[in-house]
Amino acid sequence: MTEPLTTGGNPAALLPLLMFMAVMLGIGFFVQKAGSSGRASDFVSQYFIGRRSLGGFVLAMTTVATYSSVSSFVGGPGMAWQIGFGWIYMAVVQVTAIFLVLGIFGERVALLARRIDAVTVVDIIRARFQSDGLAALAAFIIVLFFCGTMTAQFVGGAKLFATVTGYSYEMGLLLFGLVVVIYTSVGGFRAVALTDTCCAILMMVGIVLLLYYVLQAGGGYDALMAGLAADHPEMFEPLSAGHMPIGLYLTQWILVGICTIALPQSVVRGISYKDTPSLHQAMLIGTVVVGFMNIGINFTGIMAHGVLTGDLASYGGVDYIIPRTIVAVMPPALVGLAIIGPLAASISTISGLLIVASSAVVKDVYLHHQQQRGREVTARHLRILSMAVTAVIGVAVFIIALTPPSLIWIINMFAFGGLETAFFWTLLLGLFWKRANRLGAILSMAGGTVAYCATQALGFKVMGLHQITIGITVSLVFFLVGAYIGRPTSKQVLSLFFPPRD
Amino acid sequence: MTDYEKYRQICREARGTGILLVLLILFWLAAGFGAYAVWGPAPVAFGLPVWAIGGTIGVWLFAIIGVWVLLHTTFRDMSLDESGEDASAKGGEHDD
Repeated sequence: MTEPLTTGGNPAALLPLLMFMAVMLGIGFFVQKAGSSGRASDFVSQYFIGRRSLGGFVLAMTTVATYSSVSSFVGGPGMAWQIGFGWIYMAVVQVTAIFLVLGIFGERVALLARRIDAVTVVDIIRARFQSDGLAALAAFIIVLFFCGTMTAQFVGGAKLFATVTGYSYEMGLLLFGLVVVIYTSVGGFRAVALTDTCCAILMMVGIVLLLYYVLQAGGGYDALMAGLAADHPEMFEPLSAGHMPIGLYLTQWILVGICTIALPQSVVRGISYKDTPSLHQAMLIGTVVVGFMNIGINFTGIMAHGVLTGDLASYGGVDYIIPRTIVAVMPPALVGLAIIGPLAASISTISGLLIVASSAVVKDVYLHHQQQRGREVTARHLRILSMAVTAVIGVAVFIIALTPPSLIWIINMFAFGGLETAFFWTLLLGLFWKRANRLGAILSMAGGTVAYCATQALGFKVMGLHQITIGITVSLVFFLVGAYIGRPTSKQVLSLFFPPRD
Repeated sequence: MTDYEKYRQICREARGTGILLVLLILFWLAAGFGAYAVWGPAPVAFGLPVWAIGGTIGVWLFAIIGVWVLLHTTFRDMSLDESGEDASAKGGEHDD
């Protein structure tokens, strides 16, 4: 298990964390109380997309916070500490993550969702390709890969908590793990969006705070830069003396840049905002914030080289660079504040994924099944079921995290690539290409995901590139084959998705 | 705006977003690898070489300005509800 950097626990670090968690819980219960009861369809809209009422600022913050995970705040800056400015050069491709998804899909899914009364991304896929099988497959892939990503967030957050505060890993899990499950279960999407906004602000505050103390501990910016230039000149080269291969840059453009437009947890935010001025505002604010976070935290990681001057092995690996930096430079009373940033990244990602995973089970599978059989589901029944499913998924992941798998960060990136492989072409071609049809979508989603998982399992790569390149290519080929040999989509469906001139 | 006009407008906006992505990739290449090839690793400001400034802060600023320009030249405000005639034909059932 995780070895603490302080012994006996730091009570001063707990207080701000407890206050933060209390605020998160308060938001969850407040949103639940404020939510109206009404019809079952009203509840689904309220619980899973916040009744399409998000403004620009909250939309930007919730999209950024869900996208930015704990690895952006722990593993990433640890790599920057090792690699240098080449790592920021690579990480900055993520400035595309918000404007791309909102610019390409934001208005498209918002209009379609209102037209077909969709609440989830799977609703839109089902309506476009007229396939319950494809919808079930999409829901399964969402739940499966989201569980992997959520486990990584739980483990990453709890390890950070344990190493920095001196309390146990299990206590960290209990503290923030259960809190996030509770507030997401009771408050639904609106609580997730509001807490995400708080989390994103706290992430930025945490970055500024940590950078300030790192610069102070290292003798100021000029002294730190002079030391780096003298001792580690390779950190000022984009390839970092071979530590940053060109292939890694290419892979990152695909994995954390371009293909992120297809992440269901990001696309669903296009269904949740109130009007187009909000969307446009969110594109700009989101680009500012995601850039600030990526550059800020990785720059802090590089600067930490002036504080942690030993070799990487002596610190236990890249995941321990930021925790050790926090312990080394922050006054004990402020450690709790510094750790809130990375933990906020962790819980905001968990809550964002949890609510979408829950909607996949409740709305996309259960409710659809009941409606097909002509059974009416009451709002009360749906409310209890939605909260229960959210809680069960959260607790299941929580239990997995109690005995963490050893390759947790690899699982995180594996899940990221799997979701992109499954949804990239299905959404992009499905929403912008009339010829896209059911067979192409099914072949693409199933074949691409299988190819991606198989090559991951076998460790097979092409030119040393991450398996996302294989998955996304196979997925495209299958889609095109299916589109040209399969039956075209009916005119009725096409006219719904591609309005005719008259 | 009719539903057809909205769809055409959304396609224009998506294309514009794609073009911004291509421009951003080109800028990223030029400001990072390109600048390193020309000026090397010698520091020019704040102890940093040109490529480390252009390839990080520069790319971020380019993205912000690019999005601002995109929003002011290509994107347009529109009602997210269906156009009047279509909505009335379908009974106008909406959440909002």
